[in-house]
Amino acid sequence: MLKADAVARLLEAGQRRAARIVSRMPAPGGVMDPSYVDALGIRVHCELLRLSEELQFGRRVEALISPLIAGLRKAGPETIRVVDVGCGLGYVLRSLAAAGRLGPDVQLVGADLNLALIDRARDLAAQEGLDCQFICGDAFRPQAAIEDPARTVVISSGLMHHVPEQELPGFFASQADLAVAAFAHWDIAPCLWSTVGAWVFHQARMREPVSRHDGVVSARRAHSAAALQAAALAGAPGYSIQVAEAPRWQPRALDVLRPVVGVLA
Amino acid sequence: MAAARPGRAATGGGGAGLIAVVAASLALLGLVDGACAGFRSSVGRTGLIRHRTSDRRAARRGAGLAAVLLTPAVLVACGGALADHSQAEVFRRAGELMLEVYAPYGLVVIVALVAYATLGWRERYLASAAILGPLTLLRPAIAILGAGLAVGVTRDLAVALSVILAVLAVLTVEPVADRLWYGRRAVYRRERTSGSAQSP
Repeated sequence: MLKADAVARLLEAGQRRAARIVSRMPAPGGVMDPSYVDALGIRVHCELLRLSEELQFGRRVEALISPLIAGLRKAGPETIRVVDVGCGLGYVLRSLAAAGRLGPDVQLVGADLNLALIDRARDLAAQEGLDCQFICGDAFRPQAAIEDPARTVVISSGLMHHVPEQELPGFFASQADLAVAAFAHWDIAPCLWSTVGAWVFHQARMREPVSRHDGVVSARRAHSAAALQAAALAGAPGYSIQVAEAPRWQPRALDVLRPVVGVLA
Repeated sequence: MAAARPGRAATGGGGAGLIAVVAASLALLGLVDGACAGFRSSVGRTGLIRHRTSDRRAARRGAGLAAVLLTPAVLVACGGALADHSQAEVFRRAGELMLEVYAPYGLVVIVALVAYATLGWRERYLASAAILGPLTLLRPAIAILGAGLAVGVTRDLAVALSVILAVLAVLTVEPVADRLWYGRRAVYRRERTSGSAQSP
């Protein structure tokens, strides 16, 4: 991509700070340097991983999906699969694999569109001897990662705020159409506290200007519980949908990240 | 005698024991802070799940770096204190004033770290989200506040020099650790030596 085009698009979207960050990136011949962008993406995701650790993301996911997995286990002895779409460096799956509490009959598969992140996720899993797979794939086309939908739980973390609201029903439909057993997608609950918290945490923990900028922008563009519920009901009508959220002005620190959960009825 | 000198805050009686306690407390806080700074420099770099060994190494490095960087401040304080008993009392008072700011902050951080290390995941999350993260952001302001109080009350040149050197030392532990071990250029230098370097 031409750097000038990237900067222009960001300015059009009102993201002047992001445009300044991009304008400082190397671009030989005016074209964004792909190896620089890949390396930056990996650095940013490594920093995000630190945030995920402090937010106890792996444990949150485990606490929620364990009963879903137990239910699937009762229904039969076949392998159960947890598929993380938009997995990035695969922190959630690797931490689940490292903890080893889901059980030996659970396969962990991550999919992301970014090949550089998937390659690094594979390297990291191999380095630590963690039993999880990573494939290059589109979060809107998860079938590449799903073998037996009836025994698959699809998850994601921090993905939905990247999806425009009008496309959310399609996101849920991509899983419902396969008739996966359940899905659980975590994202920031938008409110003053999560925006302030995102700013505090990204200033305190992130080194890359991109990370610091994106942290606050992500909190601001996250979807409300009502929007997620409506989209999930529209895209996955055969599912029982739940989204828990506190009133906007009441801080509930534990619920600053909350899932939209759908279970096939 | 101290009160008769213009521009000098009155200092009460102390004793070598009290001076030692104040100095040791500040030194301990400086080392713990340095350990935390070393840890912060190292985390979020590799993407690995299991990193406790490298965390401990980073904390040791940070504490060691803090000890080295704080040496000039300590030498100024020791030099002043040993040269003149009344100067020792001024340094003691400055130390007490700094502790009035740093000790509560340090105590809250240490309690939160203990909670993070020992409690369940929900408590760990709260310790990080509500305490450790925000206090990391406030740390430079706290460091400067304690120093400002010490300098403002004692109005002593030697104290000012020692305190400024100390604040500069604690605030540079993390950037120096980045340069020496954990930043992109340090990693690139290490990898270049081992033959596996990618451009920083």
